[in-house]
Amino acid sequence: MTPTPSDLIPLIVITGFLGSGKTTLLRKLLTTDLGGETAVLINELGEIGIDHLLVGEIAPDTVLLKSGCVCCSIRGDLKDALIQLFSRRQKEEIPRFRRIILETTGLADPAPIFATVLADPMLRHHFSLGVIIAVVDSFNASLHEQLHPEWMAQVTSADRLILTKTDLVPEQNRETLRKHLRKINPTAVIVTNAEVKEGDPLLLSAGLHEDSPESEAERWIRNFTHPIRQQDDRADVHKGHEDSEHPDVNSFCLVFDRQIDWTAFGLWLSMLLNRHGRSILRVKGILNLSGSAYPIAIHGVQHLVHPPVHLSGWPDSDRRSRIVFIVRGIERDAVERSLNTFCRYLGSSSF
Amino acid sequence: MCALCGLLGTERDWSSSMASSLPMRQQRFLRIAQANRILGFFRLTLEDFQGVSYVLSSPTGRREIVSDFGQLWPVAETLVGRPIDPLDPALLTWLSSIPQ
Repeated sequence: MTPTPSDLIPLIVITGFLGSGKTTLLRKLLTTDLGGETAVLINELGEIGIDHLLVGEIAPDTVLLKSGCVCCSIRGDLKDALIQLFSRRQKEEIPRFRRIILETTGLADPAPIFATVLADPMLRHHFSLGVIIAVVDSFNASLHEQLHPEWMAQVTSADRLILTKTDLVPEQNRETLRKHLRKINPTAVIVTNAEVKEGDPLLLSAGLHEDSPESEAERWIRNFTHPIRQQDDRADVHKGHEDSEHPDVNSFCLVFDRQIDWTAFGLWLSMLLNRHGRSILRVKGILNLSGSAYPIAIHGVQHLVHPPVHLSGWPDSDRRSRIVFIVRGIERDAVERSLNTFCRYLGSSSF
Repeated sequence: MCALCGLLGTERDWSSSMASSLPMRQQRFLRIAQANRILGFFRLTLEDFQGVSYVLSSPTGRREIVSDFGQLWPVAETLVGRPIDPLDPALLTWLSSIPQ
């Protein structure tokens, strides 16, 4: 039987460079009394500055925090850590948490985490992927971007971008950075660290796997409807964020008036991701399918696609299919022409 | 399991996980027919195998079992010996020239 969204425990991922403020963010999210609803997976218990929140060790590598949350360090691989945590929860050795936050190491690319959860036959029946939060150090953003390709992977795969150290950066540069991030990843919600509330539901979210995925889809739509004005952006690009740093990372939104045939679309996207998975950093979209009154939401990171989610209604009055691609070195026209051809000549109506 | 056609619904690929009004076996044949339109460009043929997997055949007689649609394109590329690219203009021209 297929598990319903509420049976699955969402795995929320926090990425960001060393010193970018991941722990500060985590501390903020965990200080409120969440009644033991959250389990945190980190790499080293010693490294994280949560000592003052600590109550005591309840199992090997696992500590209990004042808020009732459990915090567990990963020994070995992520899969083992998740399975162990799940089985302790079932045996009631630890509180019955409702979500897991995974804090990655600084130079991590979130795509392999996805692969672990989506592909593993055991994990995918117990866990779903929640939002990916990328912490961006405003002060060092352009430096990180230049030096580490992982920065781009983190920013493009994020659902929420948290800007930290904004007080160290002049107002004008903050705005430039925001625009730059919006251009790279138009689908993410961008907030500053100061705007994050304790136990913020925007961050502690299962994303599309919430009981009502419509609100997440609405967030995407809101961002889609602000078209990315590339030329405007280029005009006020600050020195630190020249386009030449990543000459080919680009995002675009394809809009389709015709209803889309799911089988043709599925064949097309799996074919495209098989060949260009490395260059397609993110796909997010809402589709109007032929034979269905309600839309579905799809999203994928690199060559991995989440199982599509049925929405119970349209987020706005627009009934067109809208798909956002964040790509590296792939032309918008080529993708649009290809999808149009596939839908027109493969659609089930043509049989 | 689909009570009408006895299929277990074991496919793990993301694109198979959509609910459809069609019985599973009919849905399966529709997907195979659509995939064959694309594969025709590479002279490959896809057939159903016992309702649980697929067999992909090349014109020279090479055959490979494909467990689900997620596996189709990597296996097809091995059989053809070159990349299969949906953005390839020649493939798109071929698709639009197939009689409806």
